[in-house]
Amino acid sequence: MPELQPDDPIKSRSYANVILIAIFILLLCVSWSFYQEFIGLRPWRSYQSRFATSYSAYLQKQVRDRQAQEKTVESSADYQKLSAALQQAEATATPQDQQIKVQSDLVDAQRAAILHAFQEDRSRVGSLIYDYETIPNDAANRSDKQSGLKAVQEAEKKTYSIDWPEEGGKTVTKTFNYDQLNNTFNQLLDEKAQLTAKQGDIDKPVKDAQTAMAALIANKLPGLDADQLNGLLKSVRDMDVSLIQINVNPPGTQINDIGGVGLTDRCQSCHVGMEPKYVPAALTLTKADLGLQKSTDAPFTSHPDQDLFNWHPLDQFGCSPCHGGNGRALDSVELAHGRYEHWVWPLYYPENYQAGCQQCHSADAWTEHAPVLNEAKVLYRDRGCIGCHNYAGFDNQGEQLQETIREIASLEKEKADDNQQIPLLNKQGDQAPDNATAQRLYAQATNLTVSVSKIDGRVQQLDELSHSLQQEVKRVGPDLKEVRMKLNPEWIPYWLGHTWNFDPTAQMPQFRLQPDEVQAISAFIWQQGLKGPALDKQTPGDAAHGKELFNSLGCLACHSIGEGSQKIGGDIADNLSREGEKANYNYIVRWIHNPRVRTEPYCPFEHKDIGPEDYAKHNLPYVFDADHSKCPNDGHELVVQQQTIMPDFRLSWQEARDIASFLMTQKDASARYEPASFVNNAKLYDKGRTLVEHYGCAGCHEISGLEDASKIGTDLTQEGSKPIGRFDFALLYTKAQEGVLPDGQKSRAGGWYDPKGFFDAKLADPAVFDEGKYKPDPLDRLRMPKPNVTPEQINALTSFLLGSTQSTLPPSYQYAPTDQRKAIQEGWWIVTKYNCIGCHQIDIGQKTVLMGLPQYQGDNAINLPPVLTSEGARVNPEWLKGFLANPALSTTDTDRDGVRSYLKVRMPTFFLSDDEIRKLVLFFGALSSQQQPFIPEKLAPLTDTERALARGIFTSPAAPCLKCHATGNANHDKNATAPNFLLAGQRLRAPWTERWITEPATIIPGTAMPSGLFVQQNGRWVFNGALPAAAKNYAGDEANLLVRYLMELTPQEQAALAGSTPSAAKSGSSSVKK
Amino acid sequence: MNRKAVCWIGAIAFAAFVGGCSSNSSNTGQEQPAASSAKKTVDMSTVGSVSGTIKLDGAAPKYKAINMSADPYCVKANHGGVMPQEVVTGDGGTLANVVVYVKSGAEDYSFPTPTDSVTLDQKGCMYTPHVVALMVGQQLSVVNSDDTTHNIHPTPTDNREWNKSQPPKAPAITDTFARPEVAIPVKCNVHPWMKSYIAVMANPFYAVTDKDGKFELKNLPPGTYTIEAWQEKYGTQDQSVTIGAKEAKSGVDFTFKAGS
Amino acid sequence: MFGDWHQLWVIISTPDNIPIVAMLGLVPFFTWFAFHNMLANDRLIAQLEADPELARTHHRTTYPYSSRWERELHTNPFLMRKELLAAIIITIILMVWALTLNAPLEEPANASVTMNPAKAPWYFLGLQEMLEYFDPWIAGVIVPTLIIVGLMAIPYIDANPLGNGYYTYHQRRHAVWTFLIGFEAIWLVLVCIGTFIRGPGFMWYWPTQTWDPDRVEFNVNRNLDQIFGVDGHWFSHILPASWHLDPAIVARALFGIIPMLVYGVLAALFIHWICKRTAYSRKIYSKMSILQTVTMYIFLITMLFVPVTIFLRLVFRIKYIWETPWFSI
Repeated sequence: MPELQPDDPIKSRSYANVILIAIFILLLCVSWSFYQEFIGLRPWRSYQSRFATSYSAYLQKQVRDRQAQEKTVESSADYQKLSAALQQAEATATPQDQQIKVQSDLVDAQRAAILHAFQEDRSRVGSLIYDYETIPNDAANRSDKQSGLKAVQEAEKKTYSIDWPEEGGKTVTKTFNYDQLNNTFNQLLDEKAQLTAKQGDIDKPVKDAQTAMAALIANKLPGLDADQLNGLLKSVRDMDVSLIQINVNPPGTQINDIGGVGLTDRCQSCHVGMEPKYVPAALTLTKADLGLQKSTDAPFTSHPDQDLFNWHPLDQFGCSPCHGGNGRALDSVELAHGRYEHWVWPLYYPENYQAGCQQCHSADAWTEHAPVLNEAKVLYRDRGCIGCHNYAGFDNQGEQLQETIREIASLEKEKADDNQQIPLLNKQGDQAPDNATAQRLYAQATNLTVSVSKIDGRVQQLDELSHSLQQEVKRVGPDLKEVRMKLNPEWIPYWLGHTWNFDPTAQMPQFRLQPDEVQAISAFIWQQGLKGPALDKQTPGDAAHGKELFNSLGCLACHSIGEGSQKIGGDIADNLSREGEKANYNYIVRWIHNPRVRTEPYCPFEHKDIGPEDYAKHNLPYVFDADHSKCPNDGHELVVQQQTIMPDFRLSWQEARDIASFLMTQKDASARYEPASFVNNAKLYDKGRTLVEHYGCAGCHEISGLEDASKIGTDLTQEGSKPIGRFDFALLYTKAQEGVLPDGQKSRAGGWYDPKGFFDAKLADPAVFDEGKYKPDPLDRLRMPKPNVTPEQINALTSFLLGSTQSTLPPSYQYAPTDQRKAIQEGWWIVTKYNCIGCHQIDIGQKTVLMGLPQYQGDNAINLPPVLTSEGARVNPEWLKGFLANPALSTTDTDRDGVRSYLKVRMPTFFLSDDEIRKLVLFFGALSSQQQPFIPEKLAPLTDTERALARGIFTSPAAPCLKCHATGNANHDKNATAPNFLLAGQRLRAPWTERWITEPATIIPGTAMPSGLFVQQNGRWVFNGALPAAAKNYAGDEANLLVRYLMELTPQEQAALAGSTPSAAKSGSSSVKK
Repeated sequence: MNRKAVCWIGAIAFAAFVGGCSSNSSNTGQEQPAASSAKKTVDMSTVGSVSGTIKLDGAAPKYKAINMSADPYCVKANHGGVMPQEVVTGDGGTLANVVVYVKSGAEDYSFPTPTDSVTLDQKGCMYTPHVVALMVGQQLSVVNSDDTTHNIHPTPTDNREWNKSQPPKAPAITDTFARPEVAIPVKCNVHPWMKSYIAVMANPFYAVTDKDGKFELKNLPPGTYTIEAWQEKYGTQDQSVTIGAKEAKSGVDFTFKAGS
Repeated sequence: MFGDWHQLWVIISTPDNIPIVAMLGLVPFFTWFAFHNMLANDRLIAQLEADPELARTHHRTTYPYSSRWERELHTNPFLMRKELLAAIIITIILMVWALTLNAPLEEPANASVTMNPAKAPWYFLGLQEMLEYFDPWIAGVIVPTLIIVGLMAIPYIDANPLGNGYYTYHQRRHAVWTFLIGFEAIWLVLVCIGTFIRGPGFMWYWPTQTWDPDRVEFNVNRNLDQIFGVDGHWFSHILPASWHLDPAIVARALFGIIPMLVYGVLAALFIHWICKRTAYSRKIYSKMSILQTVTMYIFLITMLFVPVTIFLRLVFRIKYIWETPWFSI
């Protein structure tokens, strides 16, 4: 029996405190949520207000400076002069203006005075006249008619008395009848018109003065003026902190969106500097401008490359499509930049921004404003990535060829079917029950025959295409079939094992090979090489002369020579500093004389090299080249050239020997090679073959038996959008997530468990992902070799790969032009493929390799190859076709440059395929926006007087044309520095030539061609120098005259003027005619 | 469901089946004659013939000699020039180059395709004969007796068109025509004036008149026929003729109006 | 590698796992609370049974109590204030939850990429975990069905008239323990294992052990028959060849029955022993019909089978006890 409790626990217990505390906490939570709502989850608000303050400070400063500048300008002499003129003009104008004003006021007053009376009277009379006219004109109504007429007449007589204003403000009362009102009114209108016109005349000088003033200010003080700046300042001052967003939603858009919402970018909410409303394009903001250099968190700068917005309008593209990131997110920087696990399109790191371009510009070989990307694409080809890794649309002539062959086959089949069908139809026709059916069937048969013939046409086209493609297939590495003729066997193993010791700038990557693997591969390569026929024995040449040629011909545009800091030249072909150690003289001579010469053609269809015996079987001569490229056995396209891009410099055998001799002198005296007898060890053959296939050597090299080996690497076309889980970080997984780099350093960007991190690491050292793995068999290890690339180049390639995505942008955003730009797009592939840009400047501002060479510095820049920025406008495309096919412009005299024989550097023969030539011609045309097809300008033939005058200009001491321009006469051309005029007729285009001779510097800055030969005189070019008296009364355009003269210049004429025998010139011209 | 119902259903089904069969059989019975493509052959013991003359009423148009200067060989080949053969009349206005044939009435008979080939010669840059007639499937062989190249280009409406060139001494070009057509114009694109007509016949009852304008259609089985006469310029005329067994009907004349 | 506290934190703080983390605290608390009340009631019951006098005047189901206390209390304020308090606290919890954790959204689903580990929502993790121990047919179909049917069966099985409407332990020992074992000891533990222990590849990771997608693990799970080396070669003599049966399979199938029977019998005896232990339970169970009893036994045996299998698997690495061509247990 427990003792009873005094009072009821439930009743007595007080909850006051508990509830109080609970409510207090509740309130805390509520305030917390308010904080989150307005500040915590809205970081952009603080950004905007920060921007507003610093930016308005900047603007104030700008305004002040601007005003100061305007002051100084106003104090400047010419401004004074202008303002004086202005005042003076105004001074003269004002009194007259006033006078006029008085008069026009008076006129207005008078008009106002009579206006009412005039309108009333006119309407009154008008109505009466109407009544009169509508009364029928017959006997019955004669009396009414007359009364009506009378009424009208009286109405016209009616007078109005008007107080009429006059000069001096006094008014008189005048009376007007109908006619007077009319006349006075019209007359007043005339007066008014006259007065206005007069005023215009008087004010004209003032207006002119004002415009002149404005022009002066505009050119002295470009940019926004004080008022505009103040306007901006105002808009910033009362800028309401609010979310700024771009919202585009093209139909079917998928721009980095979830659920087809389209593009919604709110980046400008923090990056306020990108908002044109506040920072117009004319203004570029840097952190320094805003005084925020120190700040690491000031996203206020304006876009560094404003030009991009010309093609990518901000309001259509936004930010995230190019830069990545989560355009919608606003809660935090991390979320907005998409730098978290679940955002598939994180913001690219600044060094990879150009990856964004690749998303849409993957079809470009050369994208303007994207130098990193362009470098990457050159590397992808020249470092041999393409040898193992397929990339859609990248140098895919091989696949195209297969495709073409397949298409031909299918067409042939179609044709066969049709040919079967035709007789059947005819037969049915013969047996048809009635004539109508018969006719229909016969018609069908006839149509089929026509379509068959069309198929034939298509097939023909495809044959030509395949011919072209077969020529276009190139390989990065040299042809290993000819290894026996070319190389010392001792050198091969050394090269395989120590590639970069031999050539630190080698294109060939360093493979991870065991010594035995090296031996096996060397042996296989060596035993697989062609055994013969033996090369012609070459006598030694003159190395000194060879060196001179080597340095001047343009070899250095692709090849480099000299080691370390001594190295000069291009990187797309190998360094020749130690050529002498590896190569066989006879072979090098043949190679230099024409690198495209093959020992034996290869038939892709039969998969074998075609020897003389095959030709003999069909008693054909053993001739194979671009024009004889059909297989004697089965008529398929042969590989008739070395698959190298190295062109033919059309050198004489002697010159070839000289250069070869020079190259043979290039060796490292200290180098020693162990004897490599094992290369002939047949036991190693099989192992070697396995290895060669395993490492995909045939991707870059032509190797007997492996010509059609497929690429061993991953297809990289969409590598950038591979899910992160698919990248095998192997044992580096945790390291990557913790941001520890393979070398143990802490990664600057924190964790690198992302595609960028993978690419960077992989390119730096592909073997790194084998780290810590147990792989006793070398064949199990990752086989990707180490590419020879600098950190910058790695970064370029990474950007390229990151951009290689399965784009989420709608097709309309992809850069796939169909107009002239397509020609440009296609052209760049060829231009970069053959390294035209190594010698020629094609893109404005683009640097060539040769420009960098010591021998072209200073005045010697004149010896550089021609600048091609305006080639399309300059030359006749028909001619260009011929020139590209045969730059010597001659079939007989080929050891020269067809146009600029005076230049040491020479345009070589690239054996371009017809297709490539076609594309190049269109490319140059498109670059200078020329219409296709080309229709030559019509030039009026010269009259005798004109010819005389033109001759006068041509020979005038003021324009010593033939001083520099070649004539084809040897001893004259010794110091010629410009092309032969005899080419002009076929080569040049009149409009360009005219611009050229008048102001060449605007077309090619720094050209040797002097400007100012002609001067503008009231709308026509006039020769700037002494001319025969006859010229005085020539009214035409003299520049145009000279052009026409040049266009029909004959060898004889030129020779006569040059005072030399025309013979040489003739040969020149005749060869041109070809 | 009781047994009775089952019986009923069975009975009905059977009746329907039988009915279906019987109706089918009756149909086939009716179709027999139409379906069979067996045609009568001509019984030579009862055949008769039709003959007559073609006349031109009025004066034949006057022609100028053909100007063959385009091809000197042709000029040389025939001295004195040749006349166009559009309308060729004999004395008494008899009309040549008229095709007379049985247009209808002989459909029920089947006729063997003649094995001999009809020859169209090119001589002196003219086609000889000017009008040839042959049966469907009968072989036409075109020969070139000239020393110049001709091309033979029939431009039919119902048959297949073709156009072949024939150099001198080239082997004869042979071809057949699958569908009856009166008459297929033939021209030579090298010598625009060369013109000829090929009449393709469904039956062997046809004739091409000579200068005397006479024709005779032999071996006609008794029956009623529409006989048509075709002339390249004056078009066609026809009349219906009935002949009995072994009857030789004559005087079936046609008269074309000049200028019509 | 152990001591990876960051890893542990990631697991605990994942929005998806918050309910389970909460559960870790809540379930014990409520269990304790339930027991607290039950025992209080039981003491009261004891007292009242001991003192009929008191029982007559007694009101309220709370202990201790005073006869001077009012017989009834108004809902307002005495209940309302408690509810108010509860409402406030719940609101606070929800607000904090909402403010601190975002919705666990992820990237757009990619059919070609499966997440690793791929886990069911927490309330299904128990089933997923069971798939580790039973073959899919049993774990995915049979067991869930039995659970549901069993739950439905309870009211029909329950022969105990007492303990309705108030907390009590003594009057409902077996019910309470069945719940504690069946729900908390089995189901919730499975859920927790699935949540905290299972890592990439659904492998076993101890807390603070780093999850490693590349981890490779070797463990052989063998069937009981393999352990006993049942290959059926001796059996092939007996088996008529005309039946075209693989003696090994038949042998295994037949062999499997034995341990199952053994277990069944043992478990039944165990339950039986429990039921008969006290006079009270004997009284209760004697009321049950044979059908009720059998049903109850079956369900209890099955329920107990789950932990047994798990134990055998985790400790003795035994895969299946009874393997037949159609199902495996």
